[in-house]
Amino acid sequence: MELWRYARQRLFQIGIIFFVILTILFILFRIAPGDPVSRMIGPEMTTEDAAHLISQLGLDRPLWVQYVYYVKNFFSGNFGHSFHYGRPVIEVIGDRLPNTMLLFTTSVMISALMGVFLGKIAAWRKGEKTDTVMTLLALVTHTVFLPWMALILIWIFGYRLGWFPINGMISEEVWLNPTSGFFAKSVDVAHHMILPLLTLSLIYFGSYLLIMRSAMLETLKEDYILTARAKGLTEKVIRNKHASPNAALPVVTSVGLSLAFSINGGALTETVFSWPGIGRELVFSVSNNDYPLAQAAFLLISAVVLVSNLVVDILYAYLDPRIRY
Amino acid sequence: MTSKLKKILVLGVVTAGLFPAMTVFGGSNPVHYLKAGLSEEPKTLNIWLASDRWSLSVLSQIYQGLITRHPETLELTPWLAEDLPVYDPETLSYTVTLRDAKWSDGSPLTAQDVAFTANLIKEFKIPRHFDRWSFVKAIEVLDPKTVRFVLETPMAIFLSRTLATPIVSKKEWEPVAQNARNAEKPLTALINHEIKTPVGNGPFSVKEWKEGAYLFMTRNPHFFGSGQKIGGRVMGPFIDGIIFKFFGTSDAAILSLKKGDIDMFWWSVQAGYIEDLQKDPKITLFKNERSAMYYMGFNLRKPPFDDAVLRRAVAILIDKGFIVTRILQGDGARMDSVVPAGNKFYYCPPDTVWGEGLSRQERVKAAWWLLKEAGYSWKTPPVNDAGAVVKGRHIRLPDGTPMEGFTILTPPADYDPLRAMSGTIIQEWLREFGMPASAKPMAFGSLIDQVKVRREFDAFILAYGKLSLDPDWIRSFFHSRHDKVRGLNMSGYHNPEFDRISDESATVMDENQRRERVCRMQKILMRDLPYIPLYTPKMIEAVRNDRFSGWVNTLEGIGNPWSFCVLKPEAP
Repeated sequence: MELWRYARQRLFQIGIIFFVILTILFILFRIAPGDPVSRMIGPEMTTEDAAHLISQLGLDRPLWVQYVYYVKNFFSGNFGHSFHYGRPVIEVIGDRLPNTMLLFTTSVMISALMGVFLGKIAAWRKGEKTDTVMTLLALVTHTVFLPWMALILIWIFGYRLGWFPINGMISEEVWLNPTSGFFAKSVDVAHHMILPLLTLSLIYFGSYLLIMRSAMLETLKEDYILTARAKGLTEKVIRNKHASPNAALPVVTSVGLSLAFSINGGALTETVFSWPGIGRELVFSVSNNDYPLAQAAFLLISAVVLVSNLVVDILYAYLDPRIRY
Repeated sequence: MTSKLKKILVLGVVTAGLFPAMTVFGGSNPVHYLKAGLSEEPKTLNIWLASDRWSLSVLSQIYQGLITRHPETLELTPWLAEDLPVYDPETLSYTVTLRDAKWSDGSPLTAQDVAFTANLIKEFKIPRHFDRWSFVKAIEVLDPKTVRFVLETPMAIFLSRTLATPIVSKKEWEPVAQNARNAEKPLTALINHEIKTPVGNGPFSVKEWKEGAYLFMTRNPHFFGSGQKIGGRVMGPFIDGIIFKFFGTSDAAILSLKKGDIDMFWWSVQAGYIEDLQKDPKITLFKNERSAMYYMGFNLRKPPFDDAVLRRAVAILIDKGFIVTRILQGDGARMDSVVPAGNKFYYCPPDTVWGEGLSRQERVKAAWWLLKEAGYSWKTPPVNDAGAVVKGRHIRLPDGTPMEGFTILTPPADYDPLRAMSGTIIQEWLREFGMPASAKPMAFGSLIDQVKVRREFDAFILAYGKLSLDPDWIRSFFHSRHDKVRGLNMSGYHNPEFDRISDESATVMDENQRRERVCRMQKILMRDLPYIPLYTPKMIEAVRNDRFSGWVNTLEGIGNPWSFCVLKPEAP
């Protein structure tokens, strides 16, 4: 019951925070330099044309009127049309979001599993060569510039060896082939995912490894580990059944937040691999002052991050009996 | 190696090996689809909304105008029109006869479609098109193949720009327009109409757009040009279709080209890739002139650049040859007029080229002498008493006040390294001369806002990447009427003589008489220098030569409808 009361309280807070974010986003995009029409003006567009377009896009109204419409539309589920796509922003985001989630949630899961597994071993063999190599590897891959690593992997595995596609999410050879079924298309997507997944996993497993290693080292000093040893349990059982489940708690928090942030994708990763995700759209919409698209995308990210925080808190209480709200 | 690991490796290699072996589209007849890489995905196929380069590239295959430009001579050439229309000065009208043409759905393309397109633009005041039609008083359909346009006043752009407007199908757009008329915001409703497979009249039509992945176009069997000889060429298309693929970076696109995943990259190749591509026997590079202007602009509304003498001194100090040789690595041409030299008919060499043929020391001396004569002074002049060039310090304006620090706004290096580097080098030349210049790279949106909307700046380096061959844009850029917020006269240039000649040039219907006025406009601008034209980079495009041949070179490169109409598959 305590937990439910806590969850209700947090939901109320989230509602208020969300409204504040809604307002801040509106202000931020309006005070940012540039406007959508200035970017569209070319030699063939007169100032009269621009004024007409500004009026048709509703950008000539006073800011407070625009704000009232913005809030009203938000609560009626109308996020408007993208200035550049001419489509409802929900459709634009809806097309891109699943692609981003597919790539980034998979990469978070793989990185976390790799990090937990290797972090556990590194801690268990603290001070040995294995620990040194793993920690060093984690630090190096974690600090490598992502586009550089991505391009190197593309060059080796995509271009030189030809094992994987260089860009995109699907091949037209497969998708335009009328004989291609669901399985062939799924395999094609998986094939395209390998290089971006490899890049993201190599970059991000290091942080999970370091978190896990450090938590594991703390856990190994606990009395119950000593008790387990005194009971005569094998080292493998102590490591896998007693130490690592407790040490993995900080990783859970980190994974939860990473999953939340994964919906904004990674503009760099998506750009280098030409992955049609939300990260690239976010950059495009901000740099081209496509207010409706940028606002909706940021609101979505904010909502997911806020809710994920709540879920992680609740999950923490569930996983760790010592935590009570 | 453990047996488990071996099994995984073998499985991996087999799986990877399977993919290249997959057959293309599974058919038994060979099909010839050109695979073209775009650096971004098109945003829309609604012709009235599209403003990005990628949408317009795709749309150029779908919608055609009544006339076009010949690729070599750049002369106006009838396209959907049977012949070039003749101007009747008495009635201020043009009569156009259409070719036998059909839409991609098989329905006939008639004069009704042409009139509908023109009226739609006028009724909804569609941005980017309305300006070309605002002076057309009436559009009369004389018969299914003939349409007459009556102008309010003579306008020179009618032939070259108005008649190049893409024609849309009345059958497809009439219901859309009807719905838009009933909407609260008619124009918004029209441009927000979603269109996935437009009915077109061009050589190709959209078969499928898989967003985020590819856009697949097939040959339009009803293309009016098929089998016809236009512009000295027998038109196809001779290929079965085009598959546009989208790339996030040039690196990935170039690797795909080298690997054979795409046949052409429809974007100018950056200098860093050229040497590598030249070594590949399966890659051909095309270098063409562009109708582009990269320039330095000044704010003439305030000191110090309200003084034409100072602007001339800056022009003398800028070594355009150095910029072209060192920064563009030779793949461009210096500009000495606002009209690019590639625009053969309207380009007029200026009487005076500031600093032409001078060494750095001679430039400094010439600029120093010019400013000294105009009353400028220095704490340490850039030319000492012995006549040697030294580092100048603290230039003073003719009224004796020190020149305040000024900024040269440029796009950032990640947006355009050439302009950013040009800004830095110009800053150094001016500092050496004693001017307190600072190049300031700025996000492109902010820069445009600063220059066009807020109009708070000293100088800037910007570019027009694709200028129309009709020079009417000179009037838009420099006529005092356009000096307003969001106006194209960004420098705030006011010259009654220029205004008068440019207004005349817009209404002179004889090409040669118009050229004479355009030349005078160029000379005035090169004397007053509201902009210093810097350079025109070359359009460098890369294609594979093992699958298709017949690319047509023209101003702005090989990515043009002529190429796609005559391109042929290479024999296997």
